[in-house]
Amino acid sequence: MPHILVIDDDREIRDLLARFLERHSFRVTAARDGREARRAWSNGHYHLVVLDLMLPGESGLDLARWLRGQSPVPIVMLTAMGEETDRIIGLELGADDYLPKPFNPRELLARIRAVLRRAGETEVQRADAGVRSLRFGGWLLEPARRRLLNPEGVEVALTGGEYDLLVAMVERANRVLTRDMLLDLLRGRQAGPFDRAIDVAVSRLRRKLEDDGRNAQLIKTVRGGGYVLAASVERL
Amino acid sequence: MRRWPWPRRWPWPRSLAARTALVLLVGLAVVQGLGLTIHALDTLDLQRLAQARDIGVRVASVYRTVVTTSPAQRATLLHDLELPAGLSAKLATAAPDAALRATPPFARQIRTNMWLVSMPKLLRPIQVVILGALNTRRVLIGLRLPDGPWLNATVKVYPPSVWHSRTFLLAFVLMTAAAALLTLWAVRRLTAPVTTLAAAAERLGRDVNAAPLPEDGPAEVATAAAAFNLMAARIRRFVQDRTFMLTAIGHDLRTPITRLKLRTEFLEDEDLRAKMQADLDELEAMVSATLAFGRDIATSEPVSAIDLAVLARTVLDEALDARPDIAERLHYEGPEHLTVRARSIALKRAIANLVANAVNHGGSARVLVRPPHSGVVTVEIEDEGPGIPPAELDRVFQPFHRIESSRNRETGGVGLGLPIARNILRAHGGDVTLANRPMGGARATVSLPA
Repeated sequence: MPHILVIDDDREIRDLLARFLERHSFRVTAARDGREARRAWSNGHYHLVVLDLMLPGESGLDLARWLRGQSPVPIVMLTAMGEETDRIIGLELGADDYLPKPFNPRELLARIRAVLRRAGETEVQRADAGVRSLRFGGWLLEPARRRLLNPEGVEVALTGGEYDLLVAMVERANRVLTRDMLLDLLRGRQAGPFDRAIDVAVSRLRRKLEDDGRNAQLIKTVRGGGYVLAASVERL
Repeated sequence: MRRWPWPRRWPWPRSLAARTALVLLVGLAVVQGLGLTIHALDTLDLQRLAQARDIGVRVASVYRTVVTTSPAQRATLLHDLELPAGLSAKLATAAPDAALRATPPFARQIRTNMWLVSMPKLLRPIQVVILGALNTRRVLIGLRLPDGPWLNATVKVYPPSVWHSRTFLLAFVLMTAAAALLTLWAVRRLTAPVTTLAAAAERLGRDVNAAPLPEDGPAEVATAAAAFNLMAARIRRFVQDRTFMLTAIGHDLRTPITRLKLRTEFLEDEDLRAKMQADLDELEAMVSATLAFGRDIATSEPVSAIDLAVLARTVLDEALDARPDIAERLHYEGPEHLTVRARSIALKRAIANLVANAVNHGGSARVLVRPPHSGVVTVEIEDEGPGIPPAELDRVFQPFHRIESSRNRETGGVGLGLPIARNILRAHGGDVTLANRPMGGARATVSLPA
């Protein structure tokens, strides 16, 4: 049973979150601030940390930095409502995902599961995810600002689904990803309609990346129902 | 403000600099014209005087020669005399008679000058007749010798020329041009602070954190700049207070909403849980919309190059993902690519709000992106809904305002979608307006600087 460390200063949220996660077969230890969190950290082994950014005393960011120094344990950050800067800082500090408060408990559950699933992959890849910009075939993907720039440096808008799909494919460039693998990689972020629309998202993405013939077939279809992003990826 | 009563066919320039320059230049022209007239009159006078002197002296010289000669030899002498060009003289028994009017001042001047030629008193003419004037081209002068006969001279007169000197004209034109240029330069310099002030006000309208005006220059300008900066600081503080308040409210509401969301997970009644969660989602949406409105999302983000055409299609794709049932009623028209400089998250939010408005109230959305025309890119978002009562067309942009008929959960949001969109677009130097389409439905027209 995965063990999760929940750090939040609000007692009610802490207790409710613990109960909720225990219900979905996780083991939970809760801490109210940095001091308690450090004590809990030294007393146990955790698979994932849920960390509120706004903590009394030592801030969530400092705690995240400290945790990163200790181990590559996955961190899901709870940020203020849509604060762009918090999100960027959180991701730069190596949080694996973030969720703005007030979050949907089920969304949090899905994110935790997705992050745990990704944690199974190699450490290097995960540590890079969400922080460093990626250059592929002239295009630039900036996870810190969640945006894509074309070879001329013009931002090309992406839907949330397209963005997540592109990140998943660029991070695994030149590897064939079956539809099931993509679904698995993305389910954590996307609920509902995306499941049946993965082909739609791929074709939209393809149109945005390739419609002027500049990058013919950046995303290739593999016979038997899979896709591969064929490009060398440079991590900046 | 009272309109300036200026005839329509004489366009009174609109800019202060042009008006001031015009007034000064007209003044300069009048002064120069007067100066030129005075100069011309003066020149005429001088030339007349010179000719009178010339004529008087020459005729007197001839007279002296004739009068000092014995009467029998006078005709031969006159014949042999080499007279200067334009002067002829002959002896006669009577005074010259011609239909020429004498001009007293000119004649007087000639007469005065004749006595410059010295001669004994006894030999002076006993009668003098001067006929003609400057403008008659010739002057007839009759001098009666003391022993009886007349010496009648005809002198050619040259019409006076005001513009005798080319260099004078050139100098005059150069001087006028230099004065005009100086005037234009000075006016521009003096009115520049007004332009600066207007630009600063415009900047402040877009960005309350715009840099303050330099408080230097002439005293009045410095005072105006200082007053403007003080006003900007007050507005800034007001906006900050509002933002702090809204952020504080949003922050304090986060915790109870999060708790409630967690609590609903422990409800056994599925139906009740779903309803409570829907309520909480709505509450959250309202809080985050209020926060977004309060926070300066539009100005905290850097401006960069964005493909507006792709952005518009992406917004439509997202609308489609949310409402697959109206796939047939979502359309895009326009170029494949169109680069603009904007704040991407803010601009996407503005377009998304307008598309959401069209979908929610009109059940459809057609987005038309029009390429730049005289520096403005236009995006039109049309729906086929019932349209908007004309009286509401501008009021819907007021925060928390909703058309009465849409005050229900089905179609109504918080009433912040359009105000947020307008705030964002105005912060970009653009705008959004709403109108009813002749064939039904509403149209939001977005303008953005290209």
